[in-house]
Amino acid sequence: MDPIKTDIVVLGAGPGGYAAAFYAADMGKRVLLVEQDKRLGGVCLNRGCIPSKALLHATHLLGDARESAHRGIVFSEPQIDLEKLRTWKNSVVEKLSGGIGFLAKKRGVQVLYGRGYFEDSHTLRVETAEGQQFINYEKCIVAVGSKAALPKVFDLGNSRIMTSTEALEVEEIPEDLLVVGGGYIGMELGTVYANLGSKVVVVEMLDTILAGADPDLARPVLKYAEKNFRELRFKTKVVEMSTKGKKVRVVTEGPDKVKKEELYDRVLVSIGRTPNCNDLGLENTKVEQDERGFIKVNEKQETSDPNIMAIGDIAGGVMLAHKASKEARVAIETIVGQESTSRGVVIPAVVFTHPEVAWCGLTESEAKAKGIAVEVAKFPWGASGRALTFDKPEGLTKLIIDPETERVLGVGIVGHGAGELIAEGVLAVEMGATARDLAESVHPHPTLSETMMEAAEVFYGHPTHTIAKKREE
Amino acid sequence: MDVKLPNLGEGADSGTVVNIYVKEGDQVSKGQSIIELETGKAVAPVPSSATGKVTKVMVAVGDKISVGAPLISVADGAGAPAPAAAKPAAPAKPGSVRASVAAAPAPVAEEEELEVEADDADAGGPPPAASPTIRHMARELGIDLRKIRGSENGGRIVMSDLRAYVQRLTRLAAQPRIAAAAAAPAAPAKKIESIDFSKWGPVVKKPMTQLRKVISQRMAESWNAVPRVTQFDEADLTIVTDLRKKYADAYDKKGAKLTLTSFAIKVVADALKKHPMFNTSIDEAAGDIIFKEYIHVGVAVDTDQGLIVPVIRDADTKDMVRLSKELNDLATKTRERKIGIEELQGGSFTISNQGGIGGGHFTPIVNKPEVAILGIGRGSLKAVVREGKIEPRLMLPLTLAYDHRVIDGGTAVRFMLEIVQGFEKFNEAAVKIS
Repeated sequence: MDPIKTDIVVLGAGPGGYAAAFYAADMGKRVLLVEQDKRLGGVCLNRGCIPSKALLHATHLLGDARESAHRGIVFSEPQIDLEKLRTWKNSVVEKLSGGIGFLAKKRGVQVLYGRGYFEDSHTLRVETAEGQQFINYEKCIVAVGSKAALPKVFDLGNSRIMTSTEALEVEEIPEDLLVVGGGYIGMELGTVYANLGSKVVVVEMLDTILAGADPDLARPVLKYAEKNFRELRFKTKVVEMSTKGKKVRVVTEGPDKVKKEELYDRVLVSIGRTPNCNDLGLENTKVEQDERGFIKVNEKQETSDPNIMAIGDIAGGVMLAHKASKEARVAIETIVGQESTSRGVVIPAVVFTHPEVAWCGLTESEAKAKGIAVEVAKFPWGASGRALTFDKPEGLTKLIIDPETERVLGVGIVGHGAGELIAEGVLAVEMGATARDLAESVHPHPTLSETMMEAAEVFYGHPTHTIAKKREE
Repeated sequence: MDVKLPNLGEGADSGTVVNIYVKEGDQVSKGQSIIELETGKAVAPVPSSATGKVTKVMVAVGDKISVGAPLISVADGAGAPAPAAAKPAAPAKPGSVRASVAAAPAPVAEEEELEVEADDADAGGPPPAASPTIRHMARELGIDLRKIRGSENGGRIVMSDLRAYVQRLTRLAAQPRIAAAAAAPAAPAKKIESIDFSKWGPVVKKPMTQLRKVISQRMAESWNAVPRVTQFDEADLTIVTDLRKKYADAYDKKGAKLTLTSFAIKVVADALKKHPMFNTSIDEAAGDIIFKEYIHVGVAVDTDQGLIVPVIRDADTKDMVRLSKELNDLATKTRERKIGIEELQGGSFTISNQGGIGGGHFTPIVNKPEVAILGIGRGSLKAVVREGKIEPRLMLPLTLAYDHRVIDGGTAVRFMLEIVQGFEKFNEAAVKIS
């Protein structure tokens, strides 16, 4: 077969890859999108953001129904049909994945299903079901993403030891579930299973959950987990894991060096993600990788190989879908000769736990660690009318402010719907807005968005719904 | 009411009165020529903006006048008075104080602030407060936002700040020249001293004509401001020569003279359509490239007073008969110094054909604010290798000088090839008349 000649080939059809392919096509380029999976959308759509959020939404209802008794509305014990839950979740995934295929077709982006391998700096070999296909390209954008890490010691070939991928299939509701790693994936999926009725134990090597989030933002999540999970163990690591009949035998070691041996029905390993850097043929190109396998890129997403760019998880940094999508735009803009950069772009982080945690820009911890002088204005949701009507007073909105210019450098939110609310924070930080800008923008009542405005007013010392120290002028 | 000197357009904001057509007591009507002014590149008649009886003539032959100068006084005859020629400047738009201050000519001391190096871009602290739109624009312009003080809350940089900064940079860039020019009369020590050439033999002194002064000023300005690259090539003129011979008589009968320049205008207009970058100007103040959607080709005309460049409008839309006629008319009018100022303005590309006189390749100077100029020498027979054999072919020396700020080498070569091809494969249909 003759090699296909194209302007741009995008390797990987996740939120980075398909965004890059579509944008490039919109800019008038001939684009080929290569995906080794059967479905488009990558981890985010098939095994990550979307299915996990579908499950979180469905299972939150269980918790909400239980909590509703003290409001005088009592439900009978819920019936859980896992098969149906899975089918619904999969239908959401399929709908979105089909949508991406449709969008690709409409733009004339050719999709090639198969594994891609670099023959050299401008040739990609794709192993499709119909055989090998060679692609000659001007530019290749590597967007192959990452996968859940499963260290060899845990990889016993036992399907009861799961990564997030398997956990999202909800094959059963295990009675006892061990979650290894209290990061956002472990906490989100732990919440799903706890709502479904599992007794969840979380072991975390560090002394806190949700590393990266400010402690005051993580606290409500911790409180929820303490109440709804069986146990959280900090400074604890798993030292041994083995199969024992239908159970998994796990030995953990706590801070006091005391070992504990237990049996679990299932184990979720959520200790991080590793880049999909193997078997790509990167050694046949000039692309350089760091010691962990991530592709080294500059702020224009260019690698050391002039023909190859990299975006998303494979390019390192925070592993978030929207970061990949932004880098996709930077890469394409760079290719078409615009001055683009991913440096200084505000990438919000959202954890869809109960309650949700979201932050963007500078965090309070980061400011402290770097010795940046900031003022922090906090508005507790106990003072928000809307939060109380939701019966969700456990929340906090805080602004990280430069005291000199009064500019908003960062925003942190914990509480119901924080993931939606943070968008205003992103806009504020990107626009270089001041606390006054937020305070003087009228926010609708009664909504949770008022907490942004009130937090800004706290900074000036005159919030309406809470008491704050008067600001010295 | 007074009739004042109207705005004459680019490069011609002043001139010398060479003729006065009216005297006190004469009746003038609107549009009637009242004086003749030597300005810029031509001697041009200045029309009256009013109708009535001339009560006073306020200029004399030899006067140097500039835009807005009163020429004559007219007593209202019939009809309503014509609207004042020069309206007072529109009041400044209300805007941020900072922006308007920055827009006004600022003293040198303030300008020098710009030279203060800002903190290293990587030195901690938050990035400059500016929206993504402004940051994007700054990147495109290559401007470090850290050097700009924002006018909004918290020092936020907004569009007006960026614009003011760019304008200041532009002024700063122009300052050494202005400063030097301004300093000259003030500091006689720096004044260029006249050399007494009569020490070595008899000499004759003649004052520079206005036209010569303008040419000299414009050429020096272009030379200093435009980083120019010159590209050389040759075009095989065999086909064009044949076509010219074939149709010359037919054109003559239509009162048009088919010259090589007519062919050149056609070739250039076609090439400009395909390469719009050669039909641009730089707006230095705004940091924009202005793409013109019209193709007005200037043609350098050699007069006994000096070089003048009349412009053929919309050259791309005119057929060869019309082009040839207009070219001939314009050249005649130019040589007779009867050309109107408007006919010298708005060119988007210039052709300088010296071939009629002789010469080979030469390096023309870009006619600012245009960005490129094509120089044509005299075609001559050369030994050319075609299909392995040496043949005598008539080769035309072509030189393309262009402004490297907006045009790169590759682009220029492609344009030049287009021109060469245009000559070598000139389509007979374009010249054919029945």
